[in-house]
Amino acid sequence: MADCLTREEVLHVARLARIELTEEEIEKYRYQLKTLMDDVDKIKDVELKTEERLISPATENATLREDTPGEMLDPEEIMKNVPESNGNFVEVPVMIDE
Amino acid sequence: MEYKKTIGIEIHCELKTNTKIYSDSINGYGTTANSNVNVVDLGYPGTLPTLNENVIRTALKAALILNCDINKIMHFDRKNYFYPDLPKGYQITQAETPIGVNGYVMIEVDGTPKKVRIHDIHIEEDTCKSIHYKHHSFLDFNRAGVPLIEIVTEADMNTPEEAMAYVEKLRELFLYADISDCKIEEGSMRCDVNISISKTDELGTRAEIKNIGSISNVGRAIVKEAERQEELLENGEEVCFATYRYDEKNDKTIMMRVKEAGNDYRYFPEPDIPFVEITDEMIKEVKDSIPMLAGERRKEYEKRGITTLNANKIIQNRIISNYLNLFLDTDINFVIASNLLLGDISAYLNKSEKSIFDTNLYKDKFIDVVNKLDKGSINSKVFKDILVDLMETDDSVDEIIANKGIKIISDPNELINVIKTVLDNNASSVSDYKGGNERVIKYLMGQIMKETKGSANPELVNKLLLEELNK
Repeated sequence: MADCLTREEVLHVARLARIELTEEEIEKYRYQLKTLMDDVDKIKDVELKTEERLISPATENATLREDTPGEMLDPEEIMKNVPESNGNFVEVPVMIDE
Repeated sequence: MEYKKTIGIEIHCELKTNTKIYSDSINGYGTTANSNVNVVDLGYPGTLPTLNENVIRTALKAALILNCDINKIMHFDRKNYFYPDLPKGYQITQAETPIGVNGYVMIEVDGTPKKVRIHDIHIEEDTCKSIHYKHHSFLDFNRAGVPLIEIVTEADMNTPEEAMAYVEKLRELFLYADISDCKIEEGSMRCDVNISISKTDELGTRAEIKNIGSISNVGRAIVKEAERQEELLENGEEVCFATYRYDEKNDKTIMMRVKEAGNDYRYFPEPDIPFVEITDEMIKEVKDSIPMLAGERRKEYEKRGITTLNANKIIQNRIISNYLNLFLDTDINFVIASNLLLGDISAYLNKSEKSIFDTNLYKDKFIDVVNKLDKGSINSKVFKDILVDLMETDDSVDEIIANKGIKIISDPNELINVIKTVLDNNASSVSDYKGGNERVIKYLMGQIMKETKGSANPELVNKLLLEELNK
């Protein structure tokens, strides 16, 4: 197994995260991401005691919520937590495509 | 040899619920931006989704109507992508265990029925609404977390007409089952069409046309996209696997982006929502709650003599149709009833902006007035005169007629005198009639009604007039 990711793999991940990387960063992450992936891969070594699919630590089935409205936030309060706002809208740099 | 079109459709429908799918904030947008929002909708750290039971039941209803097999133990999945319309970085959807699979819906084009298979129907959350302006986008999270179902067909359609018939059929089914508003123009129902063309049995590369804004544009977009693909193939070029939109103004499809591969979404089971069990009891309850759907209504109406045209007009108005259905177990004249509902009554309701269920036109009053019209003891002019009182007072039909001082002459002796006078004054018409011109009857009837100020029983007048003329 290679001990680092390819340049293309790093750039692909960066594109999915919509971040820009410098050449230095690309080189650095080729190794760092590989270490990270190897750590996660260790989970494959766990010996399974059951064939049953587990998706959540909860053993009970989901409890469903009644369809009745609860409390909501004041738009003014929401705007205090966003970097940019315009009136009642959250403002972000223009989103391309869609 | 002609190219054969292969068409598959994905439709997103917003469900009619009180609250959102994973949070208890109100499911309603179109109001002040970001006013129906809580911490879950905004994807704040540490918040957890809680699943709305009504969403499960409504989606289950849709799956049952579309003849799907139900995944009785299902879970949700995370679809990961990074975009401002989804602050938590993933959409909670269903990928592995959609609520319904392997269904079908019957459509009809030019009298030919066709089965369109449903690959699956799954539940997911809507993203926030973004409005783009120059260098900025404005986000409204009222739409974030609105419950959606997505219905995915197999690529079973081959013409624009079939595609339009499918969308129309789905809309009608969901409207009548009270699943969604299905307003395509307002975005509560959104159509994505996949289309490829080929001269052989092997399918061509498909293009996806996203978010088509009306049923007729579904047809237009398919025609234009097929033309575009045919031109490419004829010139020896290739169709690119990409997403397009239909530009109504220029009547053509425009490329938006080359599609990302599915595995870039890194789906995995949503750990914050345990398995959801759909019990047999829930299935039975939901099945029992499905009202009579449009197709069955159409059959019932036509069986009672209503024309196809009028039956369709009634079905376009679900409230009027629900009202008319109150009388399915009575023997009133449905032709008269439907004419009243589509005519004067609809005009009144539109003008007063009321639902027929908010008026005083109770069931027995409607039966009485339809029967009176049927027997000819009142005519349509009298009906118009008493309409407002019928709708707005508690008085019976007879009381309203009496209170308004409307006299209905049903005494033959009284009517004969009027008829004789009219015939004396219109001797030329009488001789026309004797000469074989039957059209003058209508004129003479009109004169008699005028003479009695519209108060004569029309059926009786007609009978007596003919007797008099044929003497």
